[in-house]
Amino acid sequence: MNEEQNPTQLSGGRVMKRLLSYLNYFKKKVAIAFIVLLIATGADVLGPIIMKIFIDDYLTPRVFPVQPLVLLAVTFIGLYAISALFNYYQVISFQKIALNIIQIMRVEVFSKVQHLGLRFFDQTPGGSLVSRITNDTETIKDLYVTVLSTIVNSAIMMIGIFAGMFFLDARLALICFILMPFLFILMWVYRALSSKVYRVTRVKLSQLNAKLSESLQGMSMIQAMRQEKRLRQEFGKINSDHKKALLKSVRLNSLMLRSAVYSVYLIGLMMILSFFGIQSFDNVVKIGVLYAFINYLDRFFDPINQIMQQLTIFQQAMVSAERVFGLLDDDRMAPVKQGESNSEVKDGRIEFRDVTFSYDGKTDVLKHISFTANPGETVALVGHTGSGKSSIINLLMRFYSIEHGEIFIDGEPLTSFSDDELRKRVGLVLQDSFMFVGDVTDNIRLSHEHLTDQEVREAAQFVQADHFIEKLPNHYHEPVGERGATFSSGQRQLLSFARTIAQNPKILVLDEATASVDTETEEAIQTALSKMRKGRTTIAIAHRLSTIQDADQILVLHRGEIVERGTHQELLQKGGLYFNMYQLQHGKGAGEVSSAQ
Amino acid sequence: MRIFADLWWFFKQERLKYFFGIIFLMLSSFLSMIPPYVVGIIVDDIRTRNLTPMILGKWILFLIIIGIIYYFTGYIWRQLIFGSSIILANQLRNDLYRHFTKFSPNFFQKRRIGDLMAHATNDINAVQGAAGEGILTLFDSLTLGGMVIVTMSAFISWKLTLITLLPMPIMVVLTMHYGNLLHKRFGKAQAAFSDLNDKVQENVSGVRVIKAFGEEEAQINMFRKASRDVVDKNIAVAKVDSLFDPTITFIVAFCYFLALIFGSIYVVQGSMTIGGLTSFTLYLGQLIWPMLAFGFLFNIVERGSASYDRIRRLFAIKPEITDVDGASSEVPSGAIDYAIRNFRYPESESNALSDIRININQGQTLGIVGKTGAGKTTMLRLLLREFDIKDGQISIGGKEIRSVTLDALRSAIGYVPQDHILFSATIAENIAFAKPEATREEIERVARLASIHEDILHFKEGYETVVGERGVTLSGGQKQRISIARALLADSEILIFDDSLSAVDARTEASILHALKHERKNKTTLISAHRLSAVEHADQIVVLDEGRIVERGMHQELIEKEGWYAEMYAHQQLESLVSEGGGKA
Repeated sequence: MNEEQNPTQLSGGRVMKRLLSYLNYFKKKVAIAFIVLLIATGADVLGPIIMKIFIDDYLTPRVFPVQPLVLLAVTFIGLYAISALFNYYQVISFQKIALNIIQIMRVEVFSKVQHLGLRFFDQTPGGSLVSRITNDTETIKDLYVTVLSTIVNSAIMMIGIFAGMFFLDARLALICFILMPFLFILMWVYRALSSKVYRVTRVKLSQLNAKLSESLQGMSMIQAMRQEKRLRQEFGKINSDHKKALLKSVRLNSLMLRSAVYSVYLIGLMMILSFFGIQSFDNVVKIGVLYAFINYLDRFFDPINQIMQQLTIFQQAMVSAERVFGLLDDDRMAPVKQGESNSEVKDGRIEFRDVTFSYDGKTDVLKHISFTANPGETVALVGHTGSGKSSIINLLMRFYSIEHGEIFIDGEPLTSFSDDELRKRVGLVLQDSFMFVGDVTDNIRLSHEHLTDQEVREAAQFVQADHFIEKLPNHYHEPVGERGATFSSGQRQLLSFARTIAQNPKILVLDEATASVDTETEEAIQTALSKMRKGRTTIAIAHRLSTIQDADQILVLHRGEIVERGTHQELLQKGGLYFNMYQLQHGKGAGEVSSAQ
Repeated sequence: MRIFADLWWFFKQERLKYFFGIIFLMLSSFLSMIPPYVVGIIVDDIRTRNLTPMILGKWILFLIIIGIIYYFTGYIWRQLIFGSSIILANQLRNDLYRHFTKFSPNFFQKRRIGDLMAHATNDINAVQGAAGEGILTLFDSLTLGGMVIVTMSAFISWKLTLITLLPMPIMVVLTMHYGNLLHKRFGKAQAAFSDLNDKVQENVSGVRVIKAFGEEEAQINMFRKASRDVVDKNIAVAKVDSLFDPTITFIVAFCYFLALIFGSIYVVQGSMTIGGLTSFTLYLGQLIWPMLAFGFLFNIVERGSASYDRIRRLFAIKPEITDVDGASSEVPSGAIDYAIRNFRYPESESNALSDIRININQGQTLGIVGKTGAGKTTMLRLLLREFDIKDGQISIGGKEIRSVTLDALRSAIGYVPQDHILFSATIAENIAFAKPEATREEIERVARLASIHEDILHFKEGYETVVGERGVTLSGGQKQRISIARALLADSEILIFDDSLSAVDARTEASILHALKHERKNKTTLISAHRLSAVEHADQIVVLDEGRIVERGMHQELIEKEGWYAEMYAHQQLESLVSEGGGKA
């Protein structure tokens, strides 16, 4: 799937404008840093002029009065001390500003993503989303640092040097100005060529990394199928493409970077020498001015080299910025409360009224679903994969907005509840029990700081998780690694039960796990589930016998429609689908069912 | 500097490139000595009013020639030296990849993929840096630096050179110190960034839980903190990074200052000309880079060395499972015989399998069932020789599996693993993975056998649909069936299904099993499964518990025994009926 969903592609200029608008947060700081930069550059540029004064006024005529000379020397060293200090300050300031802008932008993007709806997450691959939030903003950081520190700095420096040249000799300065078009053409051509080469290199690199990572992950398969040789060849091919791209960029850089800039420098040097040389045929030339000019010329090319090296970063950053802004402008927001009223969940009565729903706007995954769950009742949803069970849960959780039909809780439309109220009162237990990095307590408490350790413990006891937690070396402070990999799936499930129960919700939404777990945990899960359901309205995607048999209502779903409904007994008496099902299993594994009744 | 000795083999291999590269680099350095010298001469001529248009024209022409030669020598040495370093990286990467292909799966389970990737990217880049920038900075600082100093002392004034260069060592020491600091702080900043990345990764994967518990604000706060940490660590980097320029500028200015003060004294004394002084200050400017390069050199070399050591350590690891001396390359065939007294994993303290004795005749199907962790997968992995058995053996057609080469063993076995590994390629390419030359007919035939053909036709691009990270997302069941088709295409005598039917529904499972039975006459199949329906029709079924066989027999026999198998079977029958909505089509 292509991530660039955003229809309004931003043009380069607008991206730049929007990027610069972030500077508004730090107007004052930018202004101060800029002034400091001007002073530092000024001090820098004055150096050669002092040298010129020394050479022309004292050295050439060979007069050495002590006081003015000491003053001159002190001024010279003083200027450079100022330049060093101020430069340090301004570089740091600009870096800080750049980093703080990225902080603002990152938090902005992350917050935005938090408020996007599941519809967005369904359509966006996780990996690319993560890279939007972290890597792309990191590239933009480089842009700010470059633009603010290097480019602004270098530009000011170049302007300063020209100012110094004009001060010394306006004619020669004008002649030196001829160099500028050469430099601009050089930069422009380099930018055009390097952007292509650079892009190819990046593409090849990412292909190389992808191939490598895939091979490492699938090595067992490669070996089992005896494809090592072929894969080595394929990798070798990509590796060699990458090499070729790199060689190309080395060639380009050797042709256009330092060597080329040095040639322009030589041209400048020849111009200055000729200028003074020709002058010297008829007039006396001030050596100090010549000296200062050559000195300026020497320094003029450092900023140029710096800027040219940063051009590639600049281009990459613009692409990243475009992607980040695309994400910031995404409008697939999570559904939120509508209207002014603040409904509250009191009894937990749920009603679906003629709900029809589609994820993509084309195929309806739910058609005319209506049912009511009275306070404290359990409604079990059964049906095969794709029958619409999960969609009912998704809608009740308000993960998606509904276009046709309505859902009510305690008679109030679902849209009239605040997020807070809804999340507090409606507890969801997912099939895949997601664990956060932290410890056991963190995973039960989440961000609800008001829950005491005692309450966390009680929740764990209530869902039978206490037993295994106490066996862990660090009990409630046992660390939980990435995705809770150190816990069994059954244990993770119990922890996620505890997490839900700690909130003491009025309504329970269960997506029962089908995964097979060991008998001991399975028993704990069963007990926990029936305890949790007591006194709570429960909507459950049921795989477990106990849930189905105790349910006050069973909805049999098929292709988005409710094809049968009733209690276990009623459905049996109806002699329909459910009954057939029961009959079918009676011959073989009926032992458990009849004993359960 | 040890890195240069370590890389000697490569310098030898590319000796011509390095030889000429260094020659041209030195030539470049030499050429860059000339313009300041010319400036000095012209300045003196101007001052003494001896300059004529002829002389001026001659020198300008000379400079033009120098410029052109310099441009080409610069181009040549860059090509040769940087080009070679890129070849080194390419070569190391290929070698590393080759090395990776020799490791058994156990190795990849122990090591983090990200870590191994880092060897092939960051570490190789650092070594590349040492072979490119490292050589450049080494020779540039030595030759250019040396030449400048020699020129300054020999042609202008050795006394002035000595005085002026006094502050330079301070600059070298300071910049080296900054370099070290920067390296450390940069490492911390990188760590903070990767931490931030992990947090975002977690957030994105846990989005449902986060939304269900209204954790958005808490997550934003956590993110803000983590991101602030990244900013702080980066500011710490910037604080060092920003020291470079001002320090250099100031010290260089101080050098100029000394040059001018003492130079003037010499000019007044008459031991030096003003032109000489001008050249001198220009040379001084040319010394900055070699001095800095000397500082950089240490950092580049240090990083390259550390990285090269890491790469070497990786190369030093011997693959655990290799061909035994004198192993036959004849593909084994016939009955499979498990005779394992005990097996334990290398790092484990308890036996994963005990007393496993099973004989599977050619053409038979063995079903392996039991709880998670009972040893089902271990049994299959041992047949694939992912580990070597110390106490016992497995043989095929009377030949111990270690007596044949890994390649021969693997060609006898088709394998459908538990977690379906597909590669970023088209579906057709994935199915034909073991047999890239397979025709479309062959591919479609096995796809039909694996009941995936219809699904594939539903994709917009059919068999040409790209799967994997950059392609369409397949459901678990689809991936499983593609991976079954892939194994079928290899058409091996033995086929292993490691719980590979878990994500397909009962009807599809039945049709795949039926197709297998029909297609694979006289061929042996081993199926491990959670869902017993997958092994129902097997010729023999073993029930494992804690690494031991607790029940064995055919389906009917096991049902009659009324043990774990019978109980589980009844339970699963019921569950499957319920979850399928009562069997309504």
